[in-house]
Amino acid sequence: MNPILTLFLKDIAHFRRDRTSLLLTFVVPAVLIYIFGNVFGVNRESTGPVGIPLAVVNQAEGAKSADAIIAALQKEKTFRLITTTMDANGADVPLTEDKVRSLFRENRIRFALIFPPDTESDDTFGLKVKYLNNPRNDIETQTVNGILQKTIFMAAPSVLMDALRKRATQAIGAAGTESFYRSIARSVGQSFNTDPEKVFDEMMRGDILSPSSSSADTPDSAAVPSDFFDRMIKIESEQVSGKQVKNAAATRSVGGWAVMFMLFSVSGAATSLFEEKKAGLFRRILAAPVKRSHILWSKYLFCTALGMVQLAALFVAGKLLFRIDVTSNLANLILICLAASSACTAFGMLLASIARSPAAASGIATFLILTMSALGGAWFPISLMPDFIQSLSKLTIVYWAMEGFLQVLWANCTFRDLLPYLGVLAGIAAVINAISVWRFNRGEMFD
Amino acid sequence: MLVIDNVTKSYGSLTALQGVSLELKAGEFFGLLGPNGAGKSTLMALIAGLRRPDSGGIRLDGQALTPDNLGSRNKLGFVPQTIALYEDLTAEENLRIFGRLYGLQGTLLRERIDQALVTAHLQDRRRHYVKTFSGGMQRRLNIVAALLHRPKLLLCDEPTVGVDPQSRNAIFEFLQMLNSEGLAVIYSTHYMEEASKLCSRIAIIDHGRMLAIGTLPQLMTRLPFRESLRIEGANLTRDSLAPLLSYGELTSDADAHVLTLHANTRLSDVFREAEAARLPTSSFQLTRPDLEDLFLHLTGKSLRDT
Repeated sequence: MNPILTLFLKDIAHFRRDRTSLLLTFVVPAVLIYIFGNVFGVNRESTGPVGIPLAVVNQAEGAKSADAIIAALQKEKTFRLITTTMDANGADVPLTEDKVRSLFRENRIRFALIFPPDTESDDTFGLKVKYLNNPRNDIETQTVNGILQKTIFMAAPSVLMDALRKRATQAIGAAGTESFYRSIARSVGQSFNTDPEKVFDEMMRGDILSPSSSSADTPDSAAVPSDFFDRMIKIESEQVSGKQVKNAAATRSVGGWAVMFMLFSVSGAATSLFEEKKAGLFRRILAAPVKRSHILWSKYLFCTALGMVQLAALFVAGKLLFRIDVTSNLANLILICLAASSACTAFGMLLASIARSPAAASGIATFLILTMSALGGAWFPISLMPDFIQSLSKLTIVYWAMEGFLQVLWANCTFRDLLPYLGVLAGIAAVINAISVWRFNRGEMFD
Repeated sequence: MLVIDNVTKSYGSLTALQGVSLELKAGEFFGLLGPNGAGKSTLMALIAGLRRPDSGGIRLDGQALTPDNLGSRNKLGFVPQTIALYEDLTAEENLRIFGRLYGLQGTLLRERIDQALVTAHLQDRRRHYVKTFSGGMQRRLNIVAALLHRPKLLLCDEPTVGVDPQSRNAIFEFLQMLNSEGLAVIYSTHYMEEASKLCSRIAIIDHGRMLAIGTLPQLMTRLPFRESLRIEGANLTRDSLAPLLSYGELTSDADAHVLTLHANTRLSDVFREAEAARLPTSSFQLTRPDLEDLFLHLTGKSLRDT
C-alpha cells in the first residue's frame, strides 16, 4: 500500500479513537453555532434588533405629530417604549426630562426622545424633537438612529401637511388655499381620470401624503392621490440576489463560523506532527521506505479530508437547525469546501513548520485564527470596518472562503462565477504550502 | 554485510562522529557502547538512512544507505530509543501500519502480525490499546514492530532505557533468540552489562570517535592489566605485602589493599609468592577487569559518571 495512504489511514484511525478531538471537531462547533445562531437571532422570522429601551417624554400637549410618532414607535418592534416611571409611592407617573437624564446616568437607558412643548409651532414649519443617546455601542446606535428616522418620517408627513396647510391659509387666505387645491385636484383628475372632488376632499383632509392613504379599506377614494404621489416619486425595490434564501441571517453567517472552526480543527490536527515527532515515530517511519514528503502529504490529505467532513457536518447542522439550503448548489458547495479546507490545512501545516513546540503552535494559531476571523468578516460585516481593515481582510483565508460560501449559498452562483474564489483559495494554499515545505526541510521536525 | 567507511557527521560546530569505520557480518550481535552524547544515536540514524553523513559512506550489501535511497530500507529494522508506537491504537493496528509501510499486505501481513504478537507474548492483548500496556510490553511491541518485514539487520537504539530488570531480561532473551535465528543486530547502550552479556563484538565510542572495537576478550587485552587482587586483613601493611609488588601495582585505602596485576602476570606465581611470605591467601579476592575498567582506561573517566 502506498505510504501516503497508509499514513492517511493511520491518521483516520487515530482520530476516530480520540474522543476529545471528535468532540472538538464536530460537536462543539455545532453547539456553538447553535448558540451563536440563537444569540444573533438567525432563526427569527424577521431580523433586526428587538426591544431596545427607548424613553419617551411628551411635553407637547395636544401636538398631533408627537402623538402620531409615539403611536408609530409603539408599533415598531425594535423599541420598548418607556413613558412612565414609578414615584416614591409606587405609582406610575409620566417620565420627565430630568428623570430621563438620571436614567442615562444610571446606565438604565441609552436612547430617549423628548417632545418639547414647542414640538409644533405656528411660527415655523416642521417639528422640534430632542434625541438623547449614549452611543457606547456604535452598531446599536447606528441601527437605532436609522429605525428612529424611518419611523418618524413615516409618521410625520400627514401632520406636517396640516402645518403646511395652516401656514398656507395664513399666508394666502382660506379662499386662495381652496382655489389652489381645486386647481391641483382638477389637474390630478384629468391626469388620472378620476373625480376631482374626491381628490380635493383627500387633500383638504391631509391624507394625501399619509402612508395609510393607500389602505385597502378605501380602495377607490384613497387610491387616486396615493397613486399620484407614487408616480411622482417611484422607488422600485428589487432584491437581485438571495431571493431563494430561506434563512438570510444564518446563510450569511454560517460560512464564516464554519471556516473559523475548521481553522482551529485542522491547525490542531496539523500540529499533531509535534506529538509524533516527540514520540519518535518519525524516526521509525522514516527508517522505513518512506520519504518526508509522504508524511507531509498524508497529513495534508488527512487534514483536508477532516476539514471537509467537519464542514459537511456543520452545514448539515445548519440545515437542520437553521433551514439553510445546502443542497440546491451542492456541487459548487463541495468545491468551495474543498478549496477552503485545503487553504486552512495549508495554514495549519505552516504553523507546524514555523513553530518550535505544540504550545507555541497553539498560541500562534489562536492569535492568527481569531485575527483572521475578525478581519475576514466572520464576526462582523467588513463593510462596517475602516477602509484599511477592509483592504487587510482580502489577505485572509476567512474572507475568501466566506465570499465563496456566500456566492454558493446566497447567490446560487455558477461554477464559472465561483472560479475566482476557488482560484484565490487554491493560490493561497499553494503559496503557503511552498513556504511550509521550505520550512520543514530547514527545520527540526524530522531530525 | 554492513560497511561503514570513515564516516564523519557534524551539527554546526559540534562534531558528532569523526572518521568512524567498521564492518559487520551477517548474524553478528554488535554492541555500540558509550556514554550519552557519545555519538551512538547519530551513528544509528546514519545507518538507518535518517541522515546523510558529511563525509564517508555506509553501505548495506553494497547499497548506499542515505535518506534518498529507499531501496535498501527493507533490509533494515529500526527500534528507536523511545517507544515509537501510537498509544491510542491497538497493538494489532500499530503492527498493521508499520507492516504496510514496508509494503506488506493481505495474508502475508496478517501472518507476520500474528507471528510478531506471539513472539512478543502479546497475542492475548492484540486488540488492547498500547497505552494500557506495561513498559515491558510496550518495549517488546516496539521491537517486533521493526521485524515484521524480516530485516537482515536490526538497529536497536538503547531499547531498554527505563525498563525494569525483569522486562530487560525478557528483552535480552528475545533479542538473543532473534540473533540465533540469523538476524544481525547493532545494539547501542551505555550499560556495559548489556553489551558484555549480549554482544559478540563491541565498539567503544566516545566524543564521536571509535576508541576500540573487538570481542570482549580482545578488548580486555587493550588493558595493561588483567585482574586485581583485593586483600583484606587488619594486620597487613604495605611492608608486609612488599613481596607481591613485583607482580602489580598496589593501592591501599582504609578497608583493604588492591594489587592490580601487570598484564603478563600469572596468578599462580602471585599465590605461590604470597604463600611463601605466609600471607593469608584465603582473604584474597580476585576481581576480573570489565568494560567499565576498559572505558576508564581509554577515556580517563567512568562510564557511569558520564
